[in-house]
Amino acid sequence: MHYDKKHIRNFSIIAHIDHGKSTLADRILELTETVSQREMKEQFLDSMDLERERGITIKLNAVTLKYHAKNGEDYLFNLIDTPGHVDFSYEVSRSLAACEGCLLVVDATQGVEAQTLANVYLAVDNNLEIVPVINKIDLPSAMPDMAKREIEERIGIPADNACLVSAKTGLNVGDVLEAVVNYIPAPLGDDNNPLQALIFDSYYDSYRGVIIMVRVKEGKVKVGDTIHLMAANKNYLVTEVGIRNPKEIKTDELCAGEVGYIAAQIKDIRDVHPGETVTLLDNPAKEALPGYRKMNPMVYCGLYPVDSKKYLDLKDALEKLTLNDASLVFEPETSQALGFGFRCGFLGLLHMDVVQERLEREYGLDLILTAPSVIYHVYKSDGTMLALDNPSKLPDLTTIKEIQEPYVKAQIMTPKEYVGAVMDLCQNRRGIYLNLEYFDDTRMIATYELPLAEIVYNFFDKLKSFTKGYASFDYEYSDYKVGNLSKMDILLNGDVIDALSIIVYKGSAYERGSVVVRKLKEIIPRQQFEVPVQAAINGKIIARADIKAVRKDVLAKCYGGDISRKKKLLEKQKEGKKRMKAIGSVEVPQEAFMTVLSIDED
Amino acid sequence: MTNKPESLYIHIPFCDHICKYCDFTKLFYFEKYEKEYLDSLITEIEHYHINRVKTLYFGGGTPTSLSDEGFERILSFATQYLEDDYEFTVEANVENLTESKLSIMKKCGVNRISIGVQSTNDKLLKEIGRNHSFEDVRRVVSLAKAQGFDNINIDLIYGFKHQSARQLKKDLKNFIELDIDHISIYSLIVEKGSIFYSQGVKEQSEGASRRFYEIILKTLRKNGYERYEISNFARNKKYSRHNMTYWKNREYYGCGLGASGFVSGNRYTNTKSLTEYNKHNFVKESEKVSNKDSLEYYLITNFRMEQGFSREEFKQKFGQDFAEMFKDKINKFLLSNLLVITPDRVKLNDDGLLLMDFVILKLI
Repeated sequence: MHYDKKHIRNFSIIAHIDHGKSTLADRILELTETVSQREMKEQFLDSMDLERERGITIKLNAVTLKYHAKNGEDYLFNLIDTPGHVDFSYEVSRSLAACEGCLLVVDATQGVEAQTLANVYLAVDNNLEIVPVINKIDLPSAMPDMAKREIEERIGIPADNACLVSAKTGLNVGDVLEAVVNYIPAPLGDDNNPLQALIFDSYYDSYRGVIIMVRVKEGKVKVGDTIHLMAANKNYLVTEVGIRNPKEIKTDELCAGEVGYIAAQIKDIRDVHPGETVTLLDNPAKEALPGYRKMNPMVYCGLYPVDSKKYLDLKDALEKLTLNDASLVFEPETSQALGFGFRCGFLGLLHMDVVQERLEREYGLDLILTAPSVIYHVYKSDGTMLALDNPSKLPDLTTIKEIQEPYVKAQIMTPKEYVGAVMDLCQNRRGIYLNLEYFDDTRMIATYELPLAEIVYNFFDKLKSFTKGYASFDYEYSDYKVGNLSKMDILLNGDVIDALSIIVYKGSAYERGSVVVRKLKEIIPRQQFEVPVQAAINGKIIARADIKAVRKDVLAKCYGGDISRKKKLLEKQKEGKKRMKAIGSVEVPQEAFMTVLSIDED
Repeated sequence: MTNKPESLYIHIPFCDHICKYCDFTKLFYFEKYEKEYLDSLITEIEHYHINRVKTLYFGGGTPTSLSDEGFERILSFATQYLEDDYEFTVEANVENLTESKLSIMKKCGVNRISIGVQSTNDKLLKEIGRNHSFEDVRRVVSLAKAQGFDNINIDLIYGFKHQSARQLKKDLKNFIELDIDHISIYSLIVEKGSIFYSQGVKEQSEGASRRFYEIILKTLRKNGYERYEISNFARNKKYSRHNMTYWKNREYYGCGLGASGFVSGNRYTNTKSLTEYNKHNFVKESEKVSNKDSLEYYLITNFRMEQGFSREEFKQKFGQDFAEMFKDKINKFLLSNLLVITPDRVKLNDDGLLLMDFVILKLI
């Protein structure tokens, strides 16, 4: 079972969403007979239902495979999966750091996309050998030569030896395995050096605590060793090491060049961050591996149970989720309108979506989410700074010197005919133009700095609709800039509803206020009396719409005694009420809390 | 419930013509269907082993569209179930409420007639697919009175898109002049399955509908009619005893194509397919009413009544006083504006009746 380093290959797969990464991984598992046909669920690597449905990988997975190559020798492959979304780019970089090479999967019908580009550059930064794989060549619209040219011209790596495959049919997937053997370097490292192992993932097991996934760079680790986490400065006794294929298989030790798991009775996943270096307490490494960064949540929102009695259930569910997800943070908060809930921080919007769906699906909770907010830096006249994650908590205006907001640097790739529309969109979202350049004859890349707050709500949807779905979008966090910002309150029936407050750009406050009140008027059900909906800035009303009173609401016709039918009609209406929260005497549906982010009529 | 139902509804699905607003189970009348249908109907009624009922109601469709022979056959068959103190209603259309039909009814002991008049505006009647004129209505009402029928109901529909308040008032005036004891008034609901629905006809606005209802309520009250149920008005206490069964959430037998009934705690609906019905596959859907549903049904029905329901009865059925059970919701949604809770009874006030669904949705 022991392989010398020459026969180990550590690699990952980089691809744009839908370009076939998971399908290719599945075929590789089949070909190496790692997973039998019987066990083979479609896309084994994406083991959460949610991932399978959305076709994206959220949580990393790594598998060890055995491959008998054409040269007659046996190889051990470690395939390390990476999440395919910008929310998780730090995690992508850490899993790439665990590899010597990667497969770059490009869809033969689509070519290179902005997201692929971002991840390829991460791979290049990590000095990985890149093996191009052109997928979906079975499709009639496939243009493998175009894809090759794009890889060469845009990414700047040779593509003449690219594998031409169809992951769906399995065509030529064997060539990919040979390319891994032939082009991806074997790991370096010396078993006799002090241990340096890179953590790239972790998961929680109720019996053994947090299990960490590591790539051993130098030295070796075995059961009974006391390991030291260099950034967290914590020590743990190793109780088990092994590899995953993808089931866990215990081994005696993990040596330089190998990928595997370590169990060490680690209680709290927050002590274990991707990028962390593991060494031995007795014989520590002189320095940690480079690239470690603590991840901070970028987007916050309030999470409240529709039924206030479910508060403890929600707490319990969040605690369970954080066992496996160190980047999810939450703390209790109270809203006058919504009662007891939690302010939760996420890496990004996708992360937020995923957490919401898991809470609703896996834990059966009905939730109200308040509009996502970024963290504003509020500088006060007394020189202190407040990191504001909840707009309703903005201090009194007279005490504020300035408010700063986070920006991202965004790269948008679009066919050139839509570049005008894309630039308009960025301008409307207060974008700062940085650059515009041709990517090739037909496509351009626009680079903007955009306030993060402007992209949290339907920016991507707009971008897609303005470019008929052709644009792709990638961003990285840049810095904080002073903004001309103000808090907008929403009043229902004359009362400020704290959970509906948002921070807005003053320049478009009037417009937004009127859009928001009009939309709220549409979605909040009518009451027995007229309910005014108002938007206010600094206590001054800037927009108003009235929810008319119900005048007559009775299905009086009911002959023949068919009362069951009438009841069914009522039941249907009752269903719609499930996700409503009563604020005072007004029932407000869940979607209202997102509506405050509406920018225009659609 | 151990007591057997005390009401029987019998559905005659045939019609001489189809009204544009109607979504009930109906078939164009063809003589060839009649005998087989009545055979099946009798089989269905017999299988319930009914002892005696206090109210018997023939609805439709149009019961009077049957041939005289068929009409007499089914009416006289049903009379065997009547108790001494009974109410026996037959629905009739203006065009086929003939002298011979009236004498068959008289002979079979019918003591209440419900006539589908719908409007007194001849132009509107034509538009909604009714083939009679108001002159015909006057004629059949006096014919019925002459035969000794003193408990007559007429149906009115309001809320056609282009109907004016003036037209409505004219309808009401004409109705009142007919000098009868019972009026049922329904707002037009364009139901799926009606001709209006397929033509895309719209209902009047909610605000207009409320205004019309208020005109109706005021006018009829002024003329001595008591609203005892949201859509039903009576003089001289001539309430429809049969319909009160429904509104008090009591059990009843329902027989005939597409009919629904409530027997031994089950609410059921019959098939709407004549072929199935004639194969004696009568019931299509049946639901055992659960405790929770039972509360919903109780409110849906009893709130329709001007008198609401008795707190004592509610407590007996559901183990808790109404005001206690819904205290939080009544406060939270300010329902006290719409509800009247006396020491004995719970009912909706005038505003509450118009917002009945709203109130129930807040409660359940």
